[in-house]
Amino acid sequence: MRRLSTYGVALATCGLILTACGTAADDNDSDNDAAAAECETVQLEGDPQVGLAYDVGGRGDQSFNDSAYAGLTQAVSEFGIAEVTEGEAGQDESEDIREERLRTFADSGHNVIVGVGFAYSEAVDTVAPDYPNVAFAVIDGFDPTEDDVNCNVAYLGFAENEGSFLVGAAAALQSQTGTIGFVGGVNNTLIQKFEAGYAAGAEAVNPDINILTTYIEESDPAGFGDPAGGQAAAEGQYADGADIVFHAAGFSGTGVFDAAVAADKLAIGVDSDQFLTAGPEQAQHIITSMLKRVDTATYEFIASAVNGEPDQGFTTFTLADDGVGYSTSGNFLTPETIAALEDYKAQIIAGDIEVPTQP
Amino acid sequence: MTTQHQGFSAEVARARTIRYTWWLAALAVIVVISTVRLYTGADRITAPGTLRAAIIGACPILLAGLGGLWAERAGIVNIGLEGQMLLGTWGAAFFAYHYGPLAGVLGAALMGLLGGLLHAIATVSFGVDHIISGVAINIVGLGAIGFLAKTTFDDLEGGGPRNLSGYSTPPEFTVPLVADGARSLADRNWFIISDVAGAIAGVTTRLSLLTVLTFVLVGVTAWVLWRTSFGLRLRSCGENPQAAETLGIDVYRYKYVAVLISGAFAGLGGAYLAMVASSSFTVGQTGGRGYIGLAAMIFGNWRPSGVLTGSLMFGYTDGISLLSNSGVLVHALLLLVAIGLAVFAVLKLRAAEKITAAVMAGLSIGAFVWYFSSDSVNTSFTGMTPYVVTLFVLAVFSQRLRMPAADGQQYRRGGAG
Repeated sequence: MRRLSTYGVALATCGLILTACGTAADDNDSDNDAAAAECETVQLEGDPQVGLAYDVGGRGDQSFNDSAYAGLTQAVSEFGIAEVTEGEAGQDESEDIREERLRTFADSGHNVIVGVGFAYSEAVDTVAPDYPNVAFAVIDGFDPTEDDVNCNVAYLGFAENEGSFLVGAAAALQSQTGTIGFVGGVNNTLIQKFEAGYAAGAEAVNPDINILTTYIEESDPAGFGDPAGGQAAAEGQYADGADIVFHAAGFSGTGVFDAAVAADKLAIGVDSDQFLTAGPEQAQHIITSMLKRVDTATYEFIASAVNGEPDQGFTTFTLADDGVGYSTSGNFLTPETIAALEDYKAQIIAGDIEVPTQP
Repeated sequence: MTTQHQGFSAEVARARTIRYTWWLAALAVIVVISTVRLYTGADRITAPGTLRAAIIGACPILLAGLGGLWAERAGIVNIGLEGQMLLGTWGAAFFAYHYGPLAGVLGAALMGLLGGLLHAIATVSFGVDHIISGVAINIVGLGAIGFLAKTTFDDLEGGGPRNLSGYSTPPEFTVPLVADGARSLADRNWFIISDVAGAIAGVTTRLSLLTVLTFVLVGVTAWVLWRTSFGLRLRSCGENPQAAETLGIDVYRYKYVAVLISGAFAGLGGAYLAMVASSSFTVGQTGGRGYIGLAAMIFGNWRPSGVLTGSLMFGYTDGISLLSNSGVLVHALLLLVAIGLAVFAVLKLRAAEKITAAVMAGLSIGAFVWYFSSDSVNTSFTGMTPYVVTLFVLAVFSQRLRMPAADGQQYRRGGAG
């Protein structure tokens, strides 16, 4: 029996290696093409039909996914797109489920497909080559096989570190205790960008500031859909003296706001202007939000597809083009704070301040 | 008359000695914890905030564990606790959103009860293997709330196809005077006094009514199962259903009641997650707490007090993994673990269990070495702490555990022959 399973493993490994070889050969072809010439425009077949696959937390997270939904709604109403399908991600789903979701979209005639969240990067990389006439986009996406350029994929990235720098400065300027907090959903390079920018901004204002950091999960994407974890993490930071906590934790952020309400302390939202999306009680504790215009990115991508020239390759939305920023809803930020933030913003755009991406 | 009297007083004396031993052991634990705290300087070990996080982490596990206890005492293994908890999270959110927090709690219990009913029908009436039915309920539970959330929450204000927030939660209260007094004592960092005060402050600050209910249910469970004739009959169904049947007990009915209560408890655990640990619902927010509850029950040797101890321990490790800079705290706890292992090694040696003692001593030395050779535990480990502790405890204590004799066995009416 044991021997049999050893053979099985050996066979499976061979199979894996063989397929790997196969794709590697293909890779080289397309790589050469890409090196030789620019990608050609993706030719969509028929009218644009949009498929939008959400990340963990899903629509209704009042943050990241809802922002994508806002962009989708705007595009749908403006261009009168008839066929729109949304897909929801489960709490702990595997890579092949995400691939399956994208394939289902493509097979059912959707030719503009947006994966919301970095988690779709691998799945899109696998699926996209099979559907050359479908325009894909991954928000926060990266290309796992950089040698192999996918011509029909747009990677929509953001300079989260720049936006986080500004809210970090805001937190340091308005903190009474000299201690501020950061709650991240998952400890990965994307969320570390938020942390790095936040810390840099706070330290630019006050080099002695004490910054508490908690990640809800080390690698499990469930950290973006765990409000209890967000609440526990923020509650711990408030108990340790923080009076302002910034979260980059998707739907878990509602737990952070709950903790702020309970402790009568302050919080900073993320992605959407969460003063507007959160409940009325929570909103009174959200002094600003780090805006990440996922809605703009989604809208512009769909618009480009509708106009017959879908975006391709990497696009980074930065402070300079208002792709990231901060909100002032609720008038919690003092005029002095806003003046200082505008000053920092100008310096970042001018390149005088280099915001780190690693904590 | 006199002999009976003497026997009675001897029993009282023995009970009293046992009680004293427990008190002494508890005191020793507090002394060790306090010493470790002062030695390592990790004052947060017993800070009110830490203990509050521990209790919030413990309650859902405790409710699931008690649910498991009810079912297994009647001989039904309920591995479907996770699925029943999931149903409870939806029930809490749905009913609380439309009809207020009390309805939310009741609705969660009702949804859990429905999950329990499914399990009871499968295992009691149709004799399905308990594990298979339980696993099926976990899968069905997740699918059902995914469907229910999509159909009922999508159009609500503050809702989405997989989540809902903005419903009211059970009230919280802070015990006046006691909480503030204990908190100021806790902040002094005195030996023992501050540790106990920290615990008191953690419990009395912003205490949710659902937390109170949870702890009341521990007492109620213990009383009903061990102090009433109903409880005795129920437990007899878990120990020897054939014998119970010959005495005229309707075993099916008792098993049904036990599994229904079990499901309702798990549903309450779901309500706790969606209403106290957070104020939002999202599909799949239990994160395996149903299974941890089962582990707490096994750790607790199928006794309410044991379930309580196990849940608090798991809740503590769960809670601290979400504190900022938890690496230092877990590092300090390493020392505690090392001392605890050393004590167990000595106890095992005295009980002439040489191999176990040697293994314990080895682990203890390992923990000491780890402690003294590092300043902090990597955050990847702190997240794992609850699971490592679960495994470890089960490995260490499993030899002394005794489950109900007919637990998990199929019973057919008329089988007494």
